[in-house]
Amino acid sequence: MERLPWLRRGFAPVLCVLLVLLAQVADSYTQYIVNLALIYVVIGVGLNFLLGYAGQFAFAHAALMGIGAYTTALLTSRLYWSFWLCLPLSGVVAAALGALGALPAMRMKRVYLALVTLAFAQLVVWVLVNWNVVTLGTDGVDVPAPMLFGWRVKGDTSVFYVVLPCTALMYWLAKRILESRIGRAFVTIRENEIVARCNGINVARTKTVVFALSAFYAGIGGSLYALTLGFIVPDAFGLSQLVLHFSIVVLGGLLSLSGAAIGAVVLTALPELLRDLQALQEIIYGLVLMVVILVMPQGIAGLLKRWGVLPREVLARNWRALARETP
Amino acid sequence: MNAPLLDARDVTVRFGGLIAVDAVSLAIPEREIRGLIGPNGAGKTTFFNAISGLVPHGGAALRFDGRDMLHLPAHRRAAAGMRRTFQSVQLVPQFTVLENVLVGMHTGIADNPAASVLGLPGGNRGELGAQRAVIEVLEFLGIGETLLQRVNQLTFAQQRYVEIARAIVGRPKLLMLDEPAAGLSPGDVKMLDALLRRLRDEWGMTILLVEHVLSLVLEISDRVTVLDNGRMIAEGSPAEVADDPAVKTAYLGNENV
Ligand SMILES: Nc1ncnc2c1ncn2[C@@H]1O[C@H](COP(=O)(O)OP(=O)(O)OP(=O)(O)O)[C@@H](O)[C@H]1O
Ligand SMILES: [Mg+2]
Repeated sequence: MERLPWLRRGFAPVLCVLLVLLAQVADSYTQYIVNLALIYVVIGVGLNFLLGYAGQFAFAHAALMGIGAYTTALLTSRLYWSFWLCLPLSGVVAAALGALGALPAMRMKRVYLALVTLAFAQLVVWVLVNWNVVTLGTDGVDVPAPMLFGWRVKGDTSVFYVVLPCTALMYWLAKRILESRIGRAFVTIRENEIVARCNGINVARTKTVVFALSAFYAGIGGSLYALTLGFIVPDAFGLSQLVLHFSIVVLGGLLSLSGAAIGAVVLTALPELLRDLQALQEIIYGLVLMVVILVMPQGIAGLLKRWGVLPREVLARNWRALARETP
Repeated sequence: MNAPLLDARDVTVRFGGLIAVDAVSLAIPEREIRGLIGPNGAGKTTFFNAISGLVPHGGAALRFDGRDMLHLPAHRRAAAGMRRTFQSVQLVPQFTVLENVLVGMHTGIADNPAASVLGLPGGNRGELGAQRAVIEVLEFLGIGETLLQRVNQLTFAQQRYVEIARAIVGRPKLLMLDEPAAGLSPGDVKMLDALLRRLRDEWGMTILLVEHVLSLVLEISDRVTVLDNGRMIAEGSPAEVADDPAVKTAYLGNENV
């Protein structure tokens, strides 16, 4: 079934090397797009935990990304905290707030969870706009370039060397989490809470974990986003940001880790490729999404898996070794 | 004499005005296969749901393996060592057999989450042990070759076995089976019969078996309990129960009235 096993083993390192080579020759704009794509890999993987694996229809991901971005931007620019402290802290702050999403998810029907999280998302943007004293409102916040061992992380190429290892680490962590009993518990509560409970899975705790985890990724993504843009405004984390996040996960493939990455790359690159067709851009964008949802519900990753280009994803570490043992 | 493994007293479940399970008491000693029979709607599945903690229920006592379960949520009861299957097979369709059965090992994997995720030495011991257990149990059930197949590609009988595998892979003390023979061919029912005996005799398991295929229940059970309209109407050896006039009436309808 797997046609190109060598491709699988070498894929991630080769991709990283290619990106580093690209960084040597890319102009600033191309580099900026690559950085954005890498950040959206983190964002997409984070949302896929919640929406894809655990099947929770929550709409706070863009707002949580905003919280991560503002945590970094405000603490570095106004209190002069180190970016290297703010990066993980942004993830933690977002995770703490995101975990609250598990409360409505435990006692309410799906549609209410959607409404409550949407209201939360609106509230966050409202606070960012109106709490001028702290957030500087619609004027936006400048994000100072961080220092690393006396080297100033300024310019898209420098930022790239921060973003790439972060994305690689977050992706690897996601894979490790999904291939453990935690990842299987996510999918089990999505499919059948009764089965989960009857097998000793604490549904409330699992939901709390997945909401926090997903938000942690949004927060880290937001922090890196602030670094990449160098300047952020509240509007960036509104409805269109949320639509982009959902599109990434759906186009790439729900329940697929590589899918979220593919979706992120395609949806960051696509608008840029279509830039010359400004008028048509939104239409093409919308059409692509509709076609994907209708024709390939498993997203691009599902299609590539069917063709044997992408490997299967089994949520059990070591399963390939088992496959070799048992004919 | 040893205390029974499961000791349920006056378990009662109400759905609005309907009393689906009406003060049913049941005590099962270790290593017994207990049949639970009764006509459609008698309350057998609801009784299972009450014992597993899925429906709110009343009761004077619910002791399992020496512990009080009455107020514990379902996942804690499962963790304490009671596992079950469902009347209609409940598997995760996107999962392979391996992943589905590993769900049954959820509480059996004691790895430190951080060590496991970061791949620290020994961090995967529980996970790898669980995978071994899955392979073993699938071999035991004769479906070893399905390990990496998606469950929606399996035959119905294979799916039933996967569900049983998930229930027994963690070696629970009590196994509750809700009509495991439904939809199986006579050949498969024979295999099931042999399997349940091995679980009791070799694994030391206690089994509570709801089944409509009476030939299977009466042949395999050490004792049989009969429900009708939520009430327990008889309990005894298979022969006693089969001869009980109240049981005959329940099954054949009220012909004598
Ligand atoms: N969730 C529920 N809400 C309301 N009534 C219910 C519910 N579940 C079961 N009942 C009712 O409780 C009674 C017992 O049902 P139950 O499913 O336990 O019977 P059973 O003995 O398992 O029957 P069968 O042999 O058909 O599986 C029936 O009258 C049923 O309609
Ligand atoms: Mg039933």
